[in-house]
Amino acid sequence: MPQLKKILAVVIMVFIPISSFSHDNEKHSLKGMSKADKLDQCVEPTEKMQKHHFEYLYHQRENTVEKGIRTKNHSLANCIDCHVSHDEEGNAIPINDEGQFCQTCHVKTAVNIDCFSCHASIPRDSLSRTKSQVHSRNTHIESTAKNLVEYYNETNYER
Amino acid sequence: MRLIMKDRTHLTRREFIVKSITAISAVYIIPDIISKAEASKPLDAEVSPKTKWAINVDVTKCVDGCTSCVEACVDENGLYGFDRPETDSQWIRKLRIKDIKTDKVTTLPMMCQHCENPPCVDVCPTGASFRREDGIVMVNQHTCIGCRYCMMACPFKARSFVHENLTEQVTSAPRGKGCVESCNLCVNRIDHGSETTACEEACMKEGHNAITFGDLSEPDSRVSIAIKTKSSRRLRADMRLKQRVTYSGF
Amino acid sequence: MDKIIFTKFIINPKIFWSNFFLLGFFMLIGFACSHYMELEGHHVTGMNNQIVWGLPHIFAVLLIVIASGVLNIASISSVFDKKLYKPLAPLSALLAISFLIAGLAILVLDLGRPNRLIVAMTTYNFKSIFSWNIFLYSGFTVVLAAYIWTMLDREVNKYSKFMGTFAFGWRIILTTGTGSIFGFLVAREAYSTAILAPLFIVMSLLYGTAVYYLILRVISKYHETYISKDILDNLKKLSTMFLFANLYFLALYHMTNMYIAKHLDFEIFILSSGGVYTLAFWLGQVIIGIVIPIILLNSKKLSSNMVLTSSSIMILLGSFIAMYVIIIGGQAYPLTIFPDHMIIESAFYDNVVHSYVPSIYELGLGIGGVALALIIILVGIANFKFLPTMISSPKSIDAVDNTSNN
Repeated sequence: MPQLKKILAVVIMVFIPISSFSHDNEKHSLKGMSKADKLDQCVEPTEKMQKHHFEYLYHQRENTVEKGIRTKNHSLANCIDCHVSHDEEGNAIPINDEGQFCQTCHVKTAVNIDCFSCHASIPRDSLSRTKSQVHSRNTHIESTAKNLVEYYNETNYER
Repeated sequence: MRLIMKDRTHLTRREFIVKSITAISAVYIIPDIISKAEASKPLDAEVSPKTKWAINVDVTKCVDGCTSCVEACVDENGLYGFDRPETDSQWIRKLRIKDIKTDKVTTLPMMCQHCENPPCVDVCPTGASFRREDGIVMVNQHTCIGCRYCMMACPFKARSFVHENLTEQVTSAPRGKGCVESCNLCVNRIDHGSETTACEEACMKEGHNAITFGDLSEPDSRVSIAIKTKSSRRLRADMRLKQRVTYSGF
Repeated sequence: MDKIIFTKFIINPKIFWSNFFLLGFFMLIGFACSHYMELEGHHVTGMNNQIVWGLPHIFAVLLIVIASGVLNIASISSVFDKKLYKPLAPLSALLAISFLIAGLAILVLDLGRPNRLIVAMTTYNFKSIFSWNIFLYSGFTVVLAAYIWTMLDREVNKYSKFMGTFAFGWRIILTTGTGSIFGFLVAREAYSTAILAPLFIVMSLLYGTAVYYLILRVISKYHETYISKDILDNLKKLSTMFLFANLYFLALYHMTNMYIAKHLDFEIFILSSGGVYTLAFWLGQVIIGIVIPIILLNSKKLSSNMVLTSSSIMILLGSFIAMYVIIIGGQAYPLTIFPDHMIIESAFYDNVVHSYVPSIYELGLGIGGVALALIIILVGIANFKFLPTMISSPKSIDAVDNTSNN
């Protein structure tokens, strides 16, 4: 039993600093501005997002890949769309770059991000990379994205 | 509170705006949406087996030397290679084949055949290779461990393994080193309501119309009509894999 | 009850540590190679979208087949009650564990995403023979560990026959599973036949016996063991039998393929027109791996030790080439997508026989795996009592007093 207690003590000592968030009320001081900076709150309350954002993402990825659900609220593409910063020339800075939104926290908490070996880290549409003319689909998606941001703005305002 | 509010005869300003917008949309917007809503599923709905995505290739219309479907696929999914043809990914490729008896040369596009009994799904140890309810066979790259057993099992060599670090992925087609990938019928596009795949669109733009994509469950979809008007066959029919990709005009 | 004294591997520490570090060095190289492959991606290997399984898989499958095969000695002693082999049984089980671990390590380290091993261990697709093999392999190590325990601990010794039988059954299923990894690949003409399962079983019997004998030889160089003439004669008989069984199943496999009309082209490819693969098949798999060992084993001029050593080396060489023919040769032959057409042009190599040149990294990984197996064996026999003091006839074993040990 004493051994068990010791082990338990070690486990608690190791995990409490990890589970208590390192920068709870800190504002992100990032280079450049993102759409998210102008909003009061993310798609869920900030504290929830800080601690559970990966759960939302995991849930969403299963729904999206297996069931084809493409809602925007918890989708990684939308996270990036809103949280990505832009430099002076208006180019998006990869969200996993040093000092950027994802990387700042993940470095602090020493948690590796495995998203961006496959997922694009800046908003990037396929056809924007090619010289072919912009397809109506893109404008459609862009306008929905705009609408969504506006929608969040409004809902936050109402609350 | 609500009851009291409802008893009031006058509308608040907010109620007035909401109701008038509803009325306007009922008259002008909804009819427009409904016709589209029938064709594509809402973003928050699960895919259902009622939808049966399929492709028909009319090889008589496929033009020798044309590779616009391949290029469109590369652009759509960001399949930019490293000029190493042995290890670069190919989701769709063009073949030229010759009939052994008649010496007739045919050219056709070859991609994942989206089997109803896919061998790649049977052999995958983690279930990462799977068949979506609407018939799209694809790889869940979150659980793919890169064992390449599905590549061994595929009779059509439809799958590619990502051999190198990638950086230029497009948002709509995440892909990365160490996983297996293949044609997924432009799943992101389709889920967002598009009625064409990139390859079909490119083929139509070229004016060849060799590739037809659509929903088999709808009798008047493009693919259903194409199959009805011209007899089609599945490749390696002896294996009874029931592919959703069919070829006509052999 | 037999009274056999088992001891640790008593060896000059200098020799132990030099061997340990040598093997450890190769093992580290293996890890470094796999790490490099993971960092850079598989384009640094010789494998590509045409030959998807390469040298690491040859090593891995061979080691797993050997793992099941080296258990022969233990199975013969406990399942078929051959007292002659009783002193050799615990070592045989240890070899089985170490080769299995090494084979699995190579397989895992060659994955595109080795960091996702946890996914492989937690999500299963029970339709996949690969999935079943994950259970069979991990279960086999547990069964073997329990079997070793029953053999070495006198208190539970009475269960050793039961465990031995259980392990015997398990390994037959395990090798069936390994053979079925290929046998269930309906798309490829080289595979797609259930005969691969029994073929893999006889291969495991043959290769396992050869490996066991070679390792015993090496150990007896440093450790005073006397391998009796009975055992040598018996091993010779066993090996000859396994060789003929191997030849029989190999012939059966190719005959079957020749009768299946759609596999005929592949048979012509392997047996006559396949260039390096044909050469590897006839010279490597058949002549070096089977014919020469049969001749050697039945020659009366050489000493038994010489005969067994040389034939075992030949068998091992042949086993490696056999795996090459099965794994690489099977993939090299292009898929028949259009049975009644000829593919004249493709950007994806649909119409050519694929070639495969392994890279140094794959070789490093494979050799690292072999080193891992040997290091486990070395540490195992040095720290636990696996070796009998004297390997001789059962009569003399009975006579040995057991008061000093255990």
